[in-house]
Amino acid sequence: MHKLIMAISMMLSLAGSSAARAQGQTEALIYKNPSCSCCDAYADYLQQNGFKVTVRETHQLAPMSRKAGIARDFEGCHLAHIDGYVVSGHVPVSAIRRLLGERPAIKGITLPGMPLGSPGMGGAKQEPFTIYEIGDGAPKVFAKE
Amino acid sequence: MTHDGLKAIDRRAFLSGTTGALAASLLPGSATSGDAKRRLVLAETQASLVGSGHPKTRVWSYNGTVPGPELRFKQGERLQIEVENRLPQETTVHWHGIRLPNAMDGVPHLTQQPIARGGKFVYAFDLPDAGTYWYHPHMLSSEQVGRGLYGPLIVEEREPIRVDRELTWVLDDWRLRPDAQIDDGFGNMMDASHAGRIGNTVTINGRVPDTVAVRRGERIRLRLINAANARIFGLEFAGHEPIVIAYDGQPVDPHRLKQRRLDLGPAMRADLVIDMMGKPGERFTLTDSFYRRQAYKLVDLVYGSESLRETRLDATFALAANTMPEPDIGNAVRHDIVFQGGMMGMMVERQMGGGSGSGMGMGGMGGGMGSMRDMMHSGRIWRINGVAAEGHVMKPMLTLERGKSYVLAMTNMTAWPHPIHLHGHSFRVISRNGAPTRDREWLDTVLMSSRERVEIAFVADNPGDWMFHCHILEHQAAGMMGVIRVA
Ligand SMILES: [Cu+2]
Repeated sequence: MHKLIMAISMMLSLAGSSAARAQGQTEALIYKNPSCSCCDAYADYLQQNGFKVTVRETHQLAPMSRKAGIARDFEGCHLAHIDGYVVSGHVPVSAIRRLLGERPAIKGITLPGMPLGSPGMGGAKQEPFTIYEIGDGAPKVFAKE
Repeated sequence: MTHDGLKAIDRRAFLSGTTGALAASLLPGSATSGDAKRRLVLAETQASLVGSGHPKTRVWSYNGTVPGPELRFKQGERLQIEVENRLPQETTVHWHGIRLPNAMDGVPHLTQQPIARGGKFVYAFDLPDAGTYWYHPHMLSSEQVGRGLYGPLIVEEREPIRVDRELTWVLDDWRLRPDAQIDDGFGNMMDASHAGRIGNTVTINGRVPDTVAVRRGERIRLRLINAANARIFGLEFAGHEPIVIAYDGQPVDPHRLKQRRLDLGPAMRADLVIDMMGKPGERFTLTDSFYRRQAYKLVDLVYGSESLRETRLDATFALAANTMPEPDIGNAVRHDIVFQGGMMGMMVERQMGGGSGSGMGMGGMGGGMGSMRDMMHSGRIWRINGVAAEGHVMKPMLTLERGKSYVLAMTNMTAWPHPIHLHGHSFRVISRNGAPTRDREWLDTVLMSSRERVEIAFVADNPGDWMFHCHILEHQAAGMMGVIRVA
């Protein structure tokens, strides 16, 4: 029973994520699979780049990503809530800073497919990362880095 | 685990006055009426999974219930059942763990044509071994099992052991939306590349459980069946000392739980004997702690006011051996099998020394940056000996000579646990990470931890093309299966 409720509360907190700031640090709430260490490495990366990071474990990333408006083919392997936006996958901080600076009318951004060389993934970068907007229509390119 | 939202639904409404009824629902299902012995009809229905005060859930069912009817036979009897498919998809029925003729194994295209919508198929085979088994579709299994298609198949010993009560618990794990309907996001790559479709609602016999009524002194035989798509259970019985008498239906030297916990991966079963030696009025919690930081209470054992007896029942509970032939390990032919792929798979391959030696990346597609995404698109995420399956019909990965003994030396070169299932045979687990196993248990589904090496041994005595696959159904669908031919 409480397990059903757990799912519901996750969804509520998705909707309610707000632009909390503490000591000038931007808060990032990351939902990740309990067993995925790449996502932990990404959390460390955000922390090192000045975000105040909270990590929560869940097995419901697929439905949560759908709920956040991310199409199946565009989801990353974890979901972060940062200052009113969702950030899916191993998105570099430069793109997050641009998002928070420009504050476009979109739900967030995603880097699908866990590319090598992206923050937290390890390995060598093979080609530019294509980061997509999460919005209501078909995903558009937000940045190439 | 912290259940931040625990108050989101008021559980009391659901619990008030229903404890008795719930406890009753955890009793073994209506043991096979004559009709279920002859017919299983698949159709959509509504089931009260979460309980009163919540909407019913639209499920797929055998004969209108979840789980399907408990089929009970005596060892040596013949099962004959007509299956009628009234679902919007084709299906088959696989009789998990039964050593049956290949044509009755229920694997679409490999052993039979799928049962069409509106179609029928008659399964008929002998039941050579006693034990706890189950039945489920082998077609689009992630969705079909995930929507509720499964049921227990119990083959009773010719001379059953003496217990006061026998319980069958079919465990399942559902991914439900807040309106208690099944989340229909089957087949997504997030689940396929990680731990599979782990849900948010755990049921015993199709109901979110609350309490089980027990009596002091009572001896219970508990038959556990994990029918979940992907959830591994790690069951801890506070205040009790369950004795394992069988795994996957097969007798084992009776023993206490190792590490005081029973780990049961998808499709695995265990038979426990539990002497209920608490005091009248006491209450004990059964916890599932497999995913450590997500431990939760599964159900409470609640002692009634009367005692049945004050000391343990003095009766033996060792089961008579089943009929599988003993492998000749000294003369067995050995084959190496490597499982690869999935999220972080490349990292594990690097640490463990590659295996394939070809510098394969996560997808085994050259390791280029696009490969992970290509792999996700193609859905071929997991590999057995370098091959990611695309369907049930494929070139056999191994051809074994009928009647000979074999050792399969398996390496889980992935970052995830996998319950590996072989059809048509039971096998002995003879070693783990190089160390001989104490019980040399017979299994049909063996849970391998990340990076673990497991050796299994068996006589390839059952001719045909047999599936060999991970029973995390999303892993299976994403490539983690192969065919072993016995000829
Ligand atoms: Cu698996």
